[in-house]
Amino acid sequence: MNYVQARETGEGTYATVYKGRSRTTNEIVALKEIHLDAEEGTPSTAIREISLMKELKHVNIVRLYDVIHTETKLVLIFEYCEQDLKRYMDAHGDRCALDPMTVRSFMYQLLKGIAFCHDNRVLHRDLKPQNLLINKKGELKVGDFGLARAFGVPVNTFSNEVVTLWYRAPDVLLGSRTYSTSIDIWSCGCIFAEMISGVPLFRGRDNQDQLLHIMRIVGTPEDRVLRKIATESPEIQLKQYPRYPKIPFSQVLPKASAQALDLLEKLLQFDPSKRLTAADALNHPYFTGTVNMTYMPSAGAMQLPAYNYPNPHAQQQQQQQQYQQHAQTQQQQQQAAYAQQQAQVYAMQQAQAQAAQQGQVPPAYYQQQNYHR
Amino acid sequence: MSRALYPLASLEQVEKSPSREDGIPADLEEDLRAYGCKLIHQAGILLKQKQVAVATAQILFQRFWFVTSMKQFGIGDVGMGALYLASKLEECPLRMRDLINVYDLLLQRAAHAPPSGDFRYAPMSYFGNAFYDLKDALVVAEMQVLKRLGFDVHVVLPYGTLVNYMRLLDLTGREDAVSRAWGYLNDALQTPVYALYPVPTIVSAAILLATRHLHIALPSTPPNCWWELFDAEWDDVWSVCGYVMRLYRTRSAEDEERVKGMLTKKDVRRWLEEHGDR
Repeated sequence: MNYVQARETGEGTYATVYKGRSRTTNEIVALKEIHLDAEEGTPSTAIREISLMKELKHVNIVRLYDVIHTETKLVLIFEYCEQDLKRYMDAHGDRCALDPMTVRSFMYQLLKGIAFCHDNRVLHRDLKPQNLLINKKGELKVGDFGLARAFGVPVNTFSNEVVTLWYRAPDVLLGSRTYSTSIDIWSCGCIFAEMISGVPLFRGRDNQDQLLHIMRIVGTPEDRVLRKIATESPEIQLKQYPRYPKIPFSQVLPKASAQALDLLEKLLQFDPSKRLTAADALNHPYFTGTVNMTYMPSAGAMQLPAYNYPNPHAQQQQQQQQYQQHAQTQQQQQQAAYAQQQAQVYAMQQAQAQAAQQGQVPPAYYQQQNYHR
Repeated sequence: MSRALYPLASLEQVEKSPSREDGIPADLEEDLRAYGCKLIHQAGILLKQKQVAVATAQILFQRFWFVTSMKQFGIGDVGMGALYLASKLEECPLRMRDLINVYDLLLQRAAHAPPSGDFRYAPMSYFGNAFYDLKDALVVAEMQVLKRLGFDVHVVLPYGTLVNYMRLLDLTGREDAVSRAWGYLNDALQTPVYALYPVPTIVSAAILLATRHLHIALPSTPPNCWWELFDAEWDDVWSVCGYVMRLYRTRSAEDEERVKGMLTKKDVRRWLEEHGDR
């Protein structure tokens, strides 16, 4: 094999993950070993992961480098990331809560990655801190596309059993099978709140309980709204729900800034059609504004002696600059990637047009490289 | 334009398919492709599987023969593997045993049914070798489809597009035209066109066939040609029509028997040995 296997780093439901090193490039990689089951053939999670991830090339999405297939197993070679967001919060957070700068950076990167997925017509359908990976450089990368699927012209309803319960959107909890990108946005909102507070926002025991947890905070929607959601997704069965008033997010997350709360509010809309898109969320003042990110210590918390920070503002500005630079380079990289992609699409269209002119059939891209025995 | 891309065969692959390289004549390959798709379709009906999964399976099956020869894999096994895989992709998975039972019935019927139609199926035994052999073949076929297509299993189905186009052409009132065009789209699944042409071209061809048969006039003189509205080229549309219409030609009894005797790679190899000196 082209890769040296080092230590085991984790075990999932259907795969074991090892840290490894490529013999050719010496790069550290993650090897995800999937055992082929004689009872169900190739696991559908593996099929989804490979078929979708090999197309998604973005800084904020874990790269799938290669797939190795043998008689008994499939090995997926991924870009290596040190830890997932859950563990990062455990290790670096203040009682798991992250500082506002980190939250903003991670949230920005998360939305960037998701916007790219949605642009490429992929729903992730299982966003949660355990599936967001953080590398040494502080880059956040969306991983585990085992539940993801492509969407396009709707011809089929989707599975209702998606997304880990705590991050599942209310429309899915109600039974929707015609959901779209907005279900990932709901999960992003939940993760946002969790990064700020250190604890998951809605912790239900089961489907129904989860729905009630959500309503207890965002409030039970008016009947009119519920009926509208049900007409948009006819497979939804409405029941009677207790009437909960809305609790302002500022009460739930006292530490969050006003703009963070405003963004959160727009992500966690009960009505899926009201949720922001990932692209719009990236343009929210929370990211674009030049507000001071000073975080107000909660009452009773001891103030740090001022002399520890001779010039707190200068430092903050510097940080902000760094962040902006980072964002800028990211944007540039992305633009470059996008331009490249466009060029490819254009070249393909050209070739197709040419072929068509000559009365030939369009060109193919059945690609087989990389998938060797 | 939608950025959801699906693979199409290259000119080289069309001119010289792997089966033809191995000496299988073009018309025989065409018949075998069609028969393999018919088996997928029949299995889908017997299993009460969604048409979405059946159509996806047929398209994957058609793509597969542009990268693999029928001398290497039988159309029965690959069809079964494609249906199994497509059912996973479309989130309506099948039980392996159900699929195997149905394919066993279909294969037996193809091999042994007398022309009188008097056929009795002998079910396989629950723990018999026949079952385990088919199961192995199924797992291998599914993996081979994935591997040889490079895990590129994204398929775009034509139905939504047809509805849109019929609306644009103001033909939704003509139920006969709509259902006929829908039928042509389904029949086209038995031909390689979904692996050769983009969806708008195939949908245009289905509309062309339906409207011509029903004598419905559509603007067709340059510069006002309705298919140009859908970015389809006349030559391509015409070629798709040709593929579909060829399905309906009457075949000799010999030809039909020949196809039924070549469902496995063993049969194909035997046939090639007997007819190999071309």
